[in-house]
Amino acid sequence: MRWLRFAALILTVTILQKGVLARWDTKPDLLLIALVFSATYFNTSDAMISSFATGFAADMIGSPMPMGPHMISFGVFGTLLAHLHRVIAIRRMPFQALAIFVTGLLVGVVTHLLAGEPLSRSLLAVVLVTSLYSGFVGPFLVAPSAWWMGIKPDRLRLRRR
Amino acid sequence: MLFTWFMLTGLILLFAPQGFTSKFQLAFVHIFRWPLSIGGSVALTARTQQSVEGAKQRSETQHNNYVENLKQTLNEQTRELKRLYGLYNSPVWEGADFALADVITKTIDGSRGELTIACRKTEGLMTGQYVLGDESVIGTISEVFPQIAKADVKLVTDSTSWIPVEVAGLKNTLRGIMTGNGDNSAKIGNLKEEVKVGEHVFALKQLKTGGFLDAPIIVGKVVRCERNTQNASVWDLTVEPVCDIQKLDDVAVIIMNPPK
Repeated sequence: MRWLRFAALILTVTILQKGVLARWDTKPDLLLIALVFSATYFNTSDAMISSFATGFAADMIGSPMPMGPHMISFGVFGTLLAHLHRVIAIRRMPFQALAIFVTGLLVGVVTHLLAGEPLSRSLLAVVLVTSLYSGFVGPFLVAPSAWWMGIKPDRLRLRRR
Repeated sequence: MLFTWFMLTGLILLFAPQGFTSKFQLAFVHIFRWPLSIGGSVALTARTQQSVEGAKQRSETQHNNYVENLKQTLNEQTRELKRLYGLYNSPVWEGADFALADVITKTIDGSRGELTIACRKTEGLMTGQYVLGDESVIGTISEVFPQIAKADVKLVTDSTSWIPVEVAGLKNTLRGIMTGNGDNSAKIGNLKEEVKVGEHVFALKQLKTGGFLDAPIIVGKVVRCERNTQNASVWDLTVEPVCDIQKLDDVAVIIMNPPK
């Protein structure tokens, strides 16, 4: 597991999310896409570590939300997804898109609940749109991420347990 | 075991005082300020054609807001003069000071609306103080970081924001509390009279420490007025800020009765 490359990937994604994408009204959550990528391409323990690390990165740019909710929700759902991937392969693009969408919804709701924010309609709409956008864009970003990490994107084979 | 340790770390961060953990967030923004600002410039490059128009519109907005503030100040002072039957010669901002600051980051996303500002001085800054942008109230100070000369500003459209305001009704001047809606708007609920769309909304001095004003300052404009769904005898207003936050580069914090 190339942790240095992973750290560089997460740092780049975090800066993009907080910099360029912050000025967009509707935007994908690149950290969510990184979470699903790591959960489906790394082994279980590496996926768990990277999920919590991605959540920590999301917390760093989550101001004014307090730190902690992203780390917990990313960690929990990333770990769950990694375990699910041992049973159901999530390598094809439609399945990746679905995984990103569902994970985005769950992570979004739990994060805001942990932060103590009321779940208003506008907030749920934002979570839904962000998850949809991420689900649409995410599968196209998996291949370059896998190349950067030196992983061969093999869609036909389940990851070794 | 590893999972437990990570969860514990997450819970510690969650329950730690936000004043402490937000230092990490600010430190990240401060350390990576350059790549973050490059990212912002790339996004803004796509809007170059609008920049000249935007500059004209902004100075016009500033001028109009200034005019409205002066009119409201004049009305307030005339009322006081009539009441006291005396001469009035105190300037509006007597006893006030301003802390000028540059906007570093803007987070306007869903229910959140916040700015991070770099203050040229932090003496006298405290939470709850009003922040001006383009001669209008845009929010209040939510957190001050004197060690790194920065502060967080909660915009009036943030879902946790609430400020006392007044607006001209069809018959009387109405006072209420304006709370943020997210989506670049705020609402004022339970008003006894209907208000015309287009009326200006003015921020008043706050009862809590920090947010004092000697005269009402414009904060927004009414864009919708409808009856409350639960109580048809009162009215709810939707208000949009008169300042375009996206084009804002610098702000001023009002410090009433600054320390000498």
